[in-house]
Amino acid sequence: MAEPTSDAGAAGRRQAVGNPWLAALAAWLVPGAGHFYLGRRGRALAFLALVGVSIAIGCHLQGNLYRPLPNQPLTLLATLGCLGMGIPYFVLRYVAGYTGDVISPGYEYGTAFILTAGLMNLLLVLDAWDIAVGKKE
Amino acid sequence: MLSHFFLMVVYAVIVSFFFALLWRRDRRERLVLFLQMFAGMVGGGLLLAWLMYPFPPGPPAPIP
Repeated sequence: MAEPTSDAGAAGRRQAVGNPWLAALAAWLVPGAGHFYLGRRGRALAFLALVGVSIAIGCHLQGNLYRPLPNQPLTLLATLGCLGMGIPYFVLRYVAGYTGDVISPGYEYGTAFILTAGLMNLLLVLDAWDIAVGKKE
Repeated sequence: MLSHFFLMVVYAVIVSFFFALLWRRDRRERLVLFLQMFAGMVGGGLLLAWLMYPFPPGPPAPIP
């Protein structure tokens, strides 16, 4: 682990701290897990709490947990965004049977919270990758 | 819980805190970025609301 990364010689390059594929997969499956695997425990717990709270508020408001709909191509993009939250998406959809309630007064806000949770976790995947390969601290 | 302003503030807190943790390492820099993003989102939302105030509300959105 004391060896520099493959781009040895690049100024300011930090050493790799873990397997980037494993870090990215863990980060996608469970929010914060990638950072936890890389030893950033405090940040990992904070990210877990932030993404978790965002999902919880979104579900409380009965926001939409997107799935692809025929003849509505934008729902594919939204579904990819929601899938970014990893395991929670599958638990909500297939274990809890959650779909959201379009006539709920908080539907639009809840959808924003749920989508944001997925997109935040996608950013965490990229961040975990960068930390693992030594691009970030 | 369904106050528009309250939900906007909660959303701004979560997103600002997330990016402050993600993009900054120093505690003071994190605080500065958090405050900038929070003020930008809440202040921007209030400014947009103020600009839209003279316009009459449209009909309710149809339920798909």
